Amino acid sequence: MGNPVKIIMVEDDEGHARLIERNIRRSGVNNDIMPFTNGTEALNFLLGADGTGAAHKDQALLILLDLNLPDMTGIDILKQVKENSYLKYAPVVVLTTTDDAEEIKRCYALGCNVYITKPVNYENFANAIRQLGLFFSVIQVPQAKA
Amino acid sequence: MRGYPHTRENHYRHDFEEADQQIVPTLTKLRTLTSDSALQQRNLDIIRPLTIQRFEIFRKAVATAQAGQWDEARKLLIETSAEDVMGQIRDVAGAMRAEEDRLFRLRRQAADDSQSLSAIVTIAGSALIVVLAGFSIFLVRQSSRARNDAEQKLRDANLDLEAAVDERTADLREANQEIQRFAYIVSHDLRSPLVNIMGFTSELEELRDDIFGRIARYSRAAAALPEPLPDSDGNQESGLTEEDKQLSEDFTEALGFIKSSIGKMDRLIGAILNLTREGRREFDPVQIETRALIEEIVGTVAHQASEANAQIRVEPLPDIVSDRLSLEQIFSNLIENALKYLRPGVPGDIAIKGRNKLGFVIFDITDNGRGIDPKDHQRIFELFRRAGVQDKPGQGIGLAHVRALVRRMGGTITVSSEPGKGSTFTITLPARWTMSRQGKSYG
Repeated sequence: MGNPVKIIMVEDDEGHARLIERNIRRSGVNNDIMPFTNGTEALNFLLGADGTGAAHKDQALLILLDLNLPDMTGIDILKQVKENSYLKYAPVVVLTTTDDAEEIKRCYALGCNVYITKPVNYENFANAIRQLGLFFSVIQVPQAKA
Repeated sequence: MRGYPHTRENHYRHDFEEADQQIVPTLTKLRTLTSDSALQQRNLDIIRPLTIQRFEIFRKAVATAQAGQWDEARKLLIETSAEDVMGQIRDVAGAMRAEEDRLFRLRRQAADDSQSLSAIVTIAGSALIVVLAGFSIFLVRQSSRARNDAEQKLRDANLDLEAAVDERTADLREANQEIQRFAYIVSHDLRSPLVNIMGFTSELEELRDDIFGRIARYSRAAAALPEPLPDSDGNQESGLTEEDKQLSEDFTEALGFIKSSIGKMDRLIGAILNLTREGRREFDPVQIETRALIEEIVGTVAHQASEANAQIRVEPLPDIVSDRLSLEQIFSNLIENALKYLRPGVPGDIAIKGRNKLGFVIFDITDNGRGIDPKDHQRIFELFRRAGVQDKPGQGIGLAHVRALVRRMGGTITVSSEPGKGSTFTITLPARWTMSRQGKSYG
């Protein structure tokens, strides 16, 4: 891992964001986490000032994405990320309360790498996030090239 | 007659005798014939005595002549042949004849008049008939036109009505969809804060352990007790005072209630989500071999059935055109319920029967389980409502869901049951369901 992986967390619910962050930390992942509470800001950051995503050319990114955002749906962001030549290699983890089969299918079709429903059962949630943390620590996040 | 005394020929006398015999009946007949005319009667009154008197004279003359006194008879006849009597008779007879002629003319005139009157009446009557016929034709036409108008209006009204019904149906459908969207969004959005509540409650639990662990440490330090070796279950609270122990337990109890309530709320929200998801699902009517479908369901619950010591009998069932998934859900819910609410210690007997009736298929799912109190027969179909002893897990959703599905497929569901004996759920579904007959869905 040349560059440390930067975690982009798009989550409008601050409580959820805090819980996710805590559990990631508990699993021993100490990478930077950049929180965004709405889709517009997150997209602005991801695509950069020029809107091409070239700003993250040499960075390894991992995106945690909530689908229910105040200004757009996470699916819009997922689509743009996966259509962007600089960003499309970044793994996207969709985290949402929806366990609708159609929505899950749609996310995978659009290129999401992991889909995690936020269960009310906290143990499951915490476990899922921690495992995700372990997963972060072992996967090789490719750097955007080109 | 007057010739008889002169000629003495008998044929004159015969003529007279003949006339004499006929005169009275003739006069009588004449009286009868002229009974309608007072004038003629009066004339007859004049002529009758004269005539009779004349005949009397003749008879006398004949008798005289037959006595051989021919001259006497002749004289008698001549004497009495004074023209006055005969002339009188002639005058009166002439008057009578004239009167009769007048009467005849009069009557003919009257007859003519009445004939022409009857002709006029006939013509007038015919004309009246024609007019009446015309009028009735007019009336019939008018009424048939009125009827046509009315029918047209009725057709228009029908069309209006249909349009109104369509409009209302569309409104209702829209309202229903609105409710479903609402239920979906609400239940979905409710889940988000619930994740936080549950998450931070669990965080609090961890904090509790930290806090009381620390209190325990301080207590031990204050009491100058040795630090205990960390035991296998990680209990760090062994040094707590009684008061602190009580606090710790209260803390745990409060958190426990919060968590169990959250769990319950989450299940309810999940149930609503599932219902709205089902309500939004598009149905797809296909030909279904009902018996095979139910055998399949029975196969999936075989384990539960053997645990409950129950047998499930599937009788030959009529096939149906309906939505497969809905039918599966309906039958598996009912069969699972039947297995769930058997009487403990009594071998279960569950039977599934079916029959065709007037374009509908009627299914009976009968069990010998604990049964349902009659006051709960409606209640069990309501969302989140349950009946009887609450000794089995469940949210009170299954039957509400089943009823909603059955209704959406244009059917009905009823229950008949006796506590302690068993229950029979009866489902009536259209044998050949098409989407156009789709009943109301959740709402």
